[in-house]
Amino acid sequence: MKCKQSEKYLLRSLDNRLNPSETIQLKEHLDDCPHCRKRQSEYQSIRRTLREDPFPEMRPYFWERLQPKLKEKRKVDPWTVRKQFGLRAIPLSILVVVLFTAAVFLFVPSPKEELDLSQTGVFLFQDSNPLEETQTFLSEEGDVNKHIMLIFSSLDETNNVRRYFP
Amino acid sequence: MDEKDLVRRSKEGNEEAFGVLVRKYKTKVYHLAYSLTHDAQAADDLAQEVFIKAYFALDKFREKSEFGTWIYRIAVNHCRDFLRKRNRLIQIPFENIIGKISAQGDETLPEEKEQEEAQRRKVVHTAIQTLPDKYKVILSLRDIQDFSYNEIAKILDISPGTVDSRLHRARKMLRKKLEPFFSHKGGGHEM
Repeated sequence: MKCKQSEKYLLRSLDNRLNPSETIQLKEHLDDCPHCRKRQSEYQSIRRTLREDPFPEMRPYFWERLQPKLKEKRKVDPWTVRKQFGLRAIPLSILVVVLFTAAVFLFVPSPKEELDLSQTGVFLFQDSNPLEETQTFLSEEGDVNKHIMLIFSSLDETNNVRRYFP
Repeated sequence: MDEKDLVRRSKEGNEEAFGVLVRKYKTKVYHLAYSLTHDAQAADDLAQEVFIKAYFALDKFREKSEFGTWIYRIAVNHCRDFLRKRNRLIQIPFENIIGKISAQGDETLPEEKEQEEAQRRKVVHTAIQTLPDKYKVILSLRDIQDFSYNEIAKILDISPGTVDSRLHRARKMLRKKLEPFFSHKGGGHEM
């Protein structure tokens, strides 16, 4: 047996993983090879050191120290909801989204609708008389004033600057 | 109550059931973390973090393996992350440490067995810290924690054949790292 093979067997022998014939081969080689005997001694020494190394004592109250950390983490962990409610959380979330969307469509008036209303429509919507303003023009005594007011009011209802008031 | 019941109850949010599991595995997880870091404070913190991680990942545990195997897997991965971050911060050439320890040995009393053993442990553990993480982990699991080949294979999710070859390489590498110490001490017999 060569030293390379012997080292392989040496390492496996540390875990008792050699069959009887391999054990005999290794023993025969070690009897004749001081180099491999030294290796064997080194490997055994390292192994013994690792096995015999004492572990320091754990700090006491491991679980008692862990518990508050779990509680704190659960508070901030968004996955806790999923953990607590499991798959039930999925349809619940969908229902919430659907209800919210429906509420948005039903209760928030569309701005486009407001734009489409004429001035008359706005008056009617507010339950006021659309002819109220016109009535003041018609009741004006002077013909010129009456005509000019009517002309200006028809030009641009929204532009108050151009409206003529005597 | 058997372990499967404890796991099921823990999954349902029963903290006391999880507490029983923690009490059962805390020492092994702590020892695993200590063997990889060789730092008691860090090992305690890591063990706590491992159980926090496990608690919030319980719903992902499909119970195909034992709870113990699963928790050790989390522990190994968590410690690896820790070592990766720490290794980025601290890089000590092992040869320097060996030199320092050997020099100390000359000045103090190497005859005293206790002192010599402490020195030997220090050297071996320092040498382990300089190995690549995968070799460090396998040496810790087999030669320190005494897990079987099959258990290691399950924890690391590799085949027993890979355990064998990786362990072989790790032990060879460690012996090689310790060669200066062996020669300083005049051979393995004295170590």
